Amino acid sequence: MEDLGLKIFGAILTTIMAFTVGMTYGGIVRKLTARVQNRYGPPVYQNFLDLLKLQSKKTNIAHGFMGHMAPVWIIIAAVTVLMFIPILNGNLWFPNLSFHGDLIFLLYMMVFGSLGMALGAGQTGNPNSAIGVTRGLSQMVGYEIPFVLALVALMIQFQTTSVQDLTQVQHETGVWNAFANPFAFLAALLASLGMFRYSPFDIVGAPAELASGPVSEFGGKYLGTMMSGGAVFAFIKLTLYVHLFFGGAGNPDDSGILATLAGIGILLVKTFLLYMIPVFYGWINPRYRTEQAIRYFWGWPTALGIVGVLWAVFFN
Amino acid sequence: MENDKNSQKIVDYIGNFARKHSLFVLAYGTGCGAIEIPATMTSRYDAERFGIRGAATPRQADVLLITGYLSTKTLKRVIRVYEQMQEPKYVIGFGSCTVNGGMYYDSYNTINGLDQYIPVDVYINGCMPRPEAVISGFVKLQELIMAGKANNGEKYRENLEHYRSNQKKIIKNWKMPDYNW
Amino acid sequence: MTDLVKENILLNAVTSAFKIEGKVIRDRRVEVHADKNTVSSILLFAKKQLGYIHMNHMTCIDWIEQGEFELVYTIYHPVDKLTLFVKTRIDREIPVMENIDTIWDHANTYEREMREMFGIEFPGLVGEHDFILEDWDQIPPMRKEFDTHKYAAETFYTRPGREDAKDVREELSKRSGTVVPDFAKKYSRE
Repeated sequence: MEDLGLKIFGAILTTIMAFTVGMTYGGIVRKLTARVQNRYGPPVYQNFLDLLKLQSKKTNIAHGFMGHMAPVWIIIAAVTVLMFIPILNGNLWFPNLSFHGDLIFLLYMMVFGSLGMALGAGQTGNPNSAIGVTRGLSQMVGYEIPFVLALVALMIQFQTTSVQDLTQVQHETGVWNAFANPFAFLAALLASLGMFRYSPFDIVGAPAELASGPVSEFGGKYLGTMMSGGAVFAFIKLTLYVHLFFGGAGNPDDSGILATLAGIGILLVKTFLLYMIPVFYGWINPRYRTEQAIRYFWGWPTALGIVGVLWAVFFN
Repeated sequence: MENDKNSQKIVDYIGNFARKHSLFVLAYGTGCGAIEIPATMTSRYDAERFGIRGAATPRQADVLLITGYLSTKTLKRVIRVYEQMQEPKYVIGFGSCTVNGGMYYDSYNTINGLDQYIPVDVYINGCMPRPEAVISGFVKLQELIMAGKANNGEKYRENLEHYRSNQKKIIKNWKMPDYNW
Repeated sequence: MTDLVKENILLNAVTSAFKIEGKVIRDRRVEVHADKNTVSSILLFAKKQLGYIHMNHMTCIDWIEQGEFELVYTIYHPVDKLTLFVKTRIDREIPVMENIDTIWDHANTYEREMREMFGIEFPGLVGEHDFILEDWDQIPPMRKEFDTHKYAAETFYTRPGREDAKDVREELSKRSGTVVPDFAKKYSRE
């Protein structure tokens, strides 16, 4: 039974780490954005203060059952997906459930949070929320296609749907999937621009035109919970990308304290560098309209994804 | 927030610290003062280093920034917006017009003295207040929050009848719900 | 100084066609004084025949001593760069004026504003009666008999410390030595 205790401990540790890392990345991005705009910027821990303040707000408005459930739904979806993502390759501290989940399941589950948000926003009855949800689902249809194509390419190339196995292949051969199938990697990378919703793909929450879109009726604790869920989701996406394309992190043969810490360090460096790609792209781009965003994703990223699939079929 | 004994618990200190450093501002751009807000927020004065950032909707906002004169028509909207905000909520009156009517003191259509209609935490005088003054107003508000004295949301709820009678004196055709938050 | 050729040609064209008075104010500015019934004909004539295709502005002045409203239509010729002012007077007691938003659509906005601020009726004018004001139950506020200061003092809360606000007209008369006219005395603050 001590195995079970270790697993629960690992799950709690994973959740705390994902939350902290996601929130800190958000804070770092705010600071960096400020520096890019020649401002001093808020402190790196600003997101934690925001969260604390939002959770300490007193009155809250009820908009019906789904209005209550939307933030809960998001955070449940986030933690559930987190459990199925391998944090460190083969590490005994963070085993979670990563041996049981495969890519198709993850693809399904990652939409869940957005779905909860859509239902909750729908019940608030705010027209801005409805427009935001429509835009968000349209954009999701846009970036899911190159993303799925990239994943299908990987699945064909390595004849497996398990994230764990894909990471293990990279560990054994020493070649990252980003180089083993560069077209699939590029397609997934371009799809990630839409996934993180920085400019120019921030059409969902566009503050100036939609009044923050789906969350426009959510304040206080609801908004805070959604923020936490979003932070965990950011960590999930980054970790998944790192494990799929950048060789993952951690040594499967060594689960000692030092090796684990080193693995976490490598994971943080890789995820941070990956996170900077959509952020950098966002700094130099104004916002797209919805149809422009979808046209973008169905253009080069989809073409690259198809080439990636062909590459996997013919040059494997 | 202060409790009954006019003292603060440690929890209040932590909460107030977070509130102080995270002010989401709903800038209600009624008058000419709205032009100072971009200057305050962007690179030269950078209000974000104090944790001040814009909120898109009243639900998410902590501070209602009334920038300039309010006509009786806009007062109606301001009251709606203020009542939709979540407690604890603060109001900053910006510019002479909100203090005593400013240059519109004898106009038939602009109110004099915002605090008759909604409770105001901090007034920033001047016509226009420059971004330095705006930031100093925010710092004053932060001091009030840290001291636990910025609880005007409660005050508004307790003295609702007083504020309502003042508001209804101005807004003759009251089509709003009497309690809409 | 130019010899105002274009201006005089315009003045002659309008005044001879409608048998009305007018004058050249300065270069590029011509005004004519018309009867209220001929205003729309003049505007239509200027638009169709003379090429004054743009209406700049349309405003109203309250001549309370003479019991009249003066309406000024400002129209513009974009090629000749000439501005024509068509001025007319209407009775203050029966403030009815012809609706010209069939000539220029945007006249509708100005007419609605005048209806609200001066109480001038434009038969056939389409639009909500509440335009800028909301739930206004006094006399139209831009009429000169409406005492805004008294109304503001009665309606709005006056914060102490505003007592030193001086009456501009009296302060100016004290400074320059001019006499405040009789009709203005009833609006005095003291």
